[in-house]
Amino acid sequence: MLRIGLDIAAIVIGVVLACVGLWALGRRRRAVGSVSEPQLESLSAIATAFGGSDDAATIARELLERVEPLVGVELSLLYLVDNERRRASGLLGRDHGRELEWFRAITVDLDTEPSGVSTAVFEAAPFAVYDVRTSKIVSPRLSEATGARSAAFVPLLANERVIGVLVVGTTSGLRSFSSEELALLRTVAGEAALALDRTRSTAALKDALERERFVARISARVRSELDVDELIRVAVQETGSALRIDRCFIRLGGTEDSIPIAAQWHTSALSPIASGKRLAVSNLAVRRRETVAIEDVEHAPELAGVGGTDALLHLGSRSVLAVPILVFDDLVGVFALHRLEPGRWTPEEVSVSEAIAREIGLAVHVAHLLRDNERRIAQQSAFFRIAAMLGQSLSLSETLDALAQAATDAFGGDAAAVLMPRGGGLELAASVRLPEQLSRALAPGLPPAAESLVRAAADRRVVASPRLAGDDRFDEQWQALMDDAGLRALLAVPAASPRADRDGLTLVFFSEEHLFTDEDLEVARHLGDAARGALERSELFEAERTARALSQQLARTGSVLATELDPAAVLDEVVQQAPALLGAEGCAVLTLEDDDLVVGAAFGEGTEDVVGVRVSTTALLSGDVFQSRAPVAVENAAADRHLAGADVLLEAGYSAYLGVPLFGPEGAPAGVLAVYARRPRTWRTEEIEALRALAGNTSAALANAELYSRVSLEKERSVAILANIADGIVAVDRDGDVVLWNAAAEQITGVPQEEAIGHTTMQVLQRDLESGAEAQAGQRLVSIPRGGEEVWLSLSEAVMRDPLGAVAGRIFAFRDISSDRMVEQVKSDFVAAVSHELRTPLTSIYGFAETLLRQDVPFGEEERRTFLGYIASESERLTGIVDQLLNVARLDAGDLQVELGRIDVGSVVSEVVETAEGANEHRFEIDLPEEPLAAEADPDKVRQVFNILVENALRYSPEGGKVTVGARRNADRVEVRVVDQGMGIPASEREWIFRKFYRAESAARDGAAGTGLGLFIAKELVNAMGGRIWVDSTEGEGSSFAFELPVARD
Amino acid sequence: MTDGPGIGAAKAGMTKVLVIDDEAPIRLLCRVNLEAEKMDVIEAADGPSGVEKARAERPDVILLDVMMPGLDGWNVAAQLLEDTSTRGIPIIFLTARAEFRDRARGLDIGGVDYVTKPFNPLELAPLVQQLLDRIERGELDELRAEKLSELRTLMESD
Repeated sequence: MLRIGLDIAAIVIGVVLACVGLWALGRRRRAVGSVSEPQLESLSAIATAFGGSDDAATIARELLERVEPLVGVELSLLYLVDNERRRASGLLGRDHGRELEWFRAITVDLDTEPSGVSTAVFEAAPFAVYDVRTSKIVSPRLSEATGARSAAFVPLLANERVIGVLVVGTTSGLRSFSSEELALLRTVAGEAALALDRTRSTAALKDALERERFVARISARVRSELDVDELIRVAVQETGSALRIDRCFIRLGGTEDSIPIAAQWHTSALSPIASGKRLAVSNLAVRRRETVAIEDVEHAPELAGVGGTDALLHLGSRSVLAVPILVFDDLVGVFALHRLEPGRWTPEEVSVSEAIAREIGLAVHVAHLLRDNERRIAQQSAFFRIAAMLGQSLSLSETLDALAQAATDAFGGDAAAVLMPRGGGLELAASVRLPEQLSRALAPGLPPAAESLVRAAADRRVVASPRLAGDDRFDEQWQALMDDAGLRALLAVPAASPRADRDGLTLVFFSEEHLFTDEDLEVARHLGDAARGALERSELFEAERTARALSQQLARTGSVLATELDPAAVLDEVVQQAPALLGAEGCAVLTLEDDDLVVGAAFGEGTEDVVGVRVSTTALLSGDVFQSRAPVAVENAAADRHLAGADVLLEAGYSAYLGVPLFGPEGAPAGVLAVYARRPRTWRTEEIEALRALAGNTSAALANAELYSRVSLEKERSVAILANIADGIVAVDRDGDVVLWNAAAEQITGVPQEEAIGHTTMQVLQRDLESGAEAQAGQRLVSIPRGGEEVWLSLSEAVMRDPLGAVAGRIFAFRDISSDRMVEQVKSDFVAAVSHELRTPLTSIYGFAETLLRQDVPFGEEERRTFLGYIASESERLTGIVDQLLNVARLDAGDLQVELGRIDVGSVVSEVVETAEGANEHRFEIDLPEEPLAAEADPDKVRQVFNILVENALRYSPEGGKVTVGARRNADRVEVRVVDQGMGIPASEREWIFRKFYRAESAARDGAAGTGLGLFIAKELVNAMGGRIWVDSTEGEGSSFAFELPVARD
Repeated sequence: MTDGPGIGAAKAGMTKVLVIDDEAPIRLLCRVNLEAEKMDVIEAADGPSGVEKARAERPDVILLDVMMPGLDGWNVAAQLLEDTSTRGIPIIFLTARAEFRDRARGLDIGGVDYVTKPFNPLELAPLVQQLLDRIERGELDELRAEKLSELRTLMESD
């Protein structure tokens, strides 16, 4: 409770001054002289007494106590006058020394009630009334109440202001008051007035201080509270508990009637105000923007226009003080105090309330500032977060993920989804914490239930739904979906997609209802812009990355194709690489055959039966590519009815198509390379270019493969030719290394091809075949080692030169002339042998002839005969040899006549054996079958053959050896055999012995006579008769010569 | 050092000739004409028996046919020259092969002379005698050298 008290020091000072003044006055008055001594003593006593008083009541008591004896009265009253001089209230009253209790409640309305008190106040001069009852100026009420008869009214003046009135009077009888007494009273009153005034101002000061402290306290509490709600609660609480009021409240807002009550306080006896409406006084304060103090709402006509007094009266409030809360000229609310009793609001109360209102205003302002600041900071950090997230990512998928994340963080959402345009609709591209069912629902795109969002994307509008349930922009399906997923609010922000002509959408979901502020919308716009920038950047990155990946993949494919030489394999490789290159699923290659395009190879699901399918060159899609020689790209074939059935692969379930032409050797169109995707997609420029490059590689690879196969064919032909040439062919490169070594070379040199290739001839043959810079024309002899022997080759050489004339390589062709030499050898051996054969009989003939002609030796008859016999037989021998030679000559000349007839082999055999038996010591055995053997042959020639064989058998078998002659039938042939027990013929010579001049090694070595022609002649004769001749022999054991002739036809 | 004429010069002063040839007529031809000149003739029909006879009879000279079955003339000559008991016996080859090569071969082997078939049988004995005279005079090596140069001249002129 506020107490109005006295300040001791002020009182003391005042009293001392009063005493000094009194004393001074007293001294002057003594000079004038009319006041008695005891009166003066009382004065000083009074002054002293004032000094010891510390409050108005005490001063009043002192005053009255002193005054009564001073002027001899029974009644003394002290009124205090308020500052406006409108009311006087009793402070203290005494009658016959007893305090009047009822007097303290006395009030006098100075304006309306005529009274001695009011007169004293307005006159500001003391006066006396002889008979109170009959006086017109004295209030009858008071006179009656007090019972006064005569009275003196003395105003208390302080600083020329009347602050009170002292009334002294008698109750027993009438009396008059002298002017000296009045003057005395005035003086004393004056002292008292000063003291009281001092007290009051001190009290006022103290009051003010208290108020200040109170306000400071409130302010401290309020300023420490940043939460607006809390601080206004504190304000009303403190005010309510500090001031003498029954109710107070704060309404925050800017307009009149609808400002809600933000905080309120009331005494425990009351109940809170329910509605902020029709609180007329605060409304008025708001309207006027100034403090309104209503003493009594019942008498306040000014409240009519602002809601009337009904509400207030209903609350029971009679006096109301309302202070508008202004901050920098902005009205932010109103602060009101209510009392149940009508009454004036003191200036102090008003000033305190205004101070509180200012505090509240400032605090609210600061709190709002802080909150705004916080919001702005949050917004800024949301911007930063967006910028950070979107500034870093590069790839499209990373950017979209970052966008979803940034959106969630920026708005404090619980989940987010980013949808991008694809094909005809919006497809889920990225998401953050998206509930399962929502992911599934959104995966194929925004359902038609979210039509409004689709439109928003199209219009590039931000859509905010703080409360999904009941938001009529969405239909039930969507709301149910959201509800299912536990989401209550959403924000949709367009995300510009650089390549599409439509925008995508970023959706942010909240699990609680969410109020979207202007800042939020600002952030949303910012997000949209930032998203566009980031997506553009990612677009560039993707393009670059795609281009790089494409070129790498292309290089890989190119290198694979470059090495592939089988055309079928090239196509297979291409149809696998092309879809991988572009991230597609299917591929087909069509090549031109006659007038159609035929699928040569295909890859992908559903393409199993496509190979071999024929398509006209004028068909859609591939036909277009072929005719126009330019790529054709289709994003979504299903969307174009035109294209239905146009392409086999599209029928198999593919949606997107990209075809490029394939070119043949001279740039003529040779086919089409087409790539397919299951889902609709756009084909980027870089991808189309990559496919064209791949087609280029493919064309090159196919051309290569064809070339290779042609070259291979040529090469094989050459190899076949070389393999079959009898001459050895060797080619060396410019470094002298062998690059070609044919089969004949292998045979002649005995060096296999594998060993020869890559080495020089010197390394392989220990002979350098080259002849130096200039090749010798014609053939020359070169010998090479082979198996320990020297083998002679007849070699010719050709030099190959490159366009500059340098030696690029050499080719050698050679043949083994050792056999020729052998033949030569054999020939010379033959000559020697023939010479020997001829000379030997000649020696006998000539020798015996000369011997017979000797005259110095007498030869007997016997001797002569012997000599002549030898001459004859040797002549015969000579004839035989000559005949043989003639035979051979005839055979050589092709002059052999064969007369075929039916012969009896058995009889011929017997004949020959008979003849031979006689002349020899060899044993003969005949081996003939029972039945007769008839052959188709020339009998003469057969005999000749037989003779030769038998002769050989005899010649080459030992003395006393057995010779078996036999014949038998063998299917349609007759086989004749001559078997001896001679030295045999080694395997390597069995072929050779039938050759001209050839005599078995052993035979030649041992010097056995013979021309080497016999078997040759025998062979020629047998062959001429349609048969064949051969030998079976084991070296050292004997030989079995056999020939067969056709059986005679019956 | 060559041995002198063999121990078995049975018929006093008579030259002993061993004829080795597989052809009977030629052996007869040689025998008749050499015996006509008062020479002693031993025959052999093949190489091995020829070598045996040479060892056993120690002839003054051997007439050796080159072209024989089994052991040919060259081998026989080699064997004879190897054997110390027969080394000193001069060999005259009988050969139908007239090649220079063969002639040279004969001389190389160690033969002294050669006769090509057909030959005049009347000239056989004088040839043998002349040869033996020269050898007695110690002109064996000279003889051979002469023959060699003769050959060379023939080869060069060819």
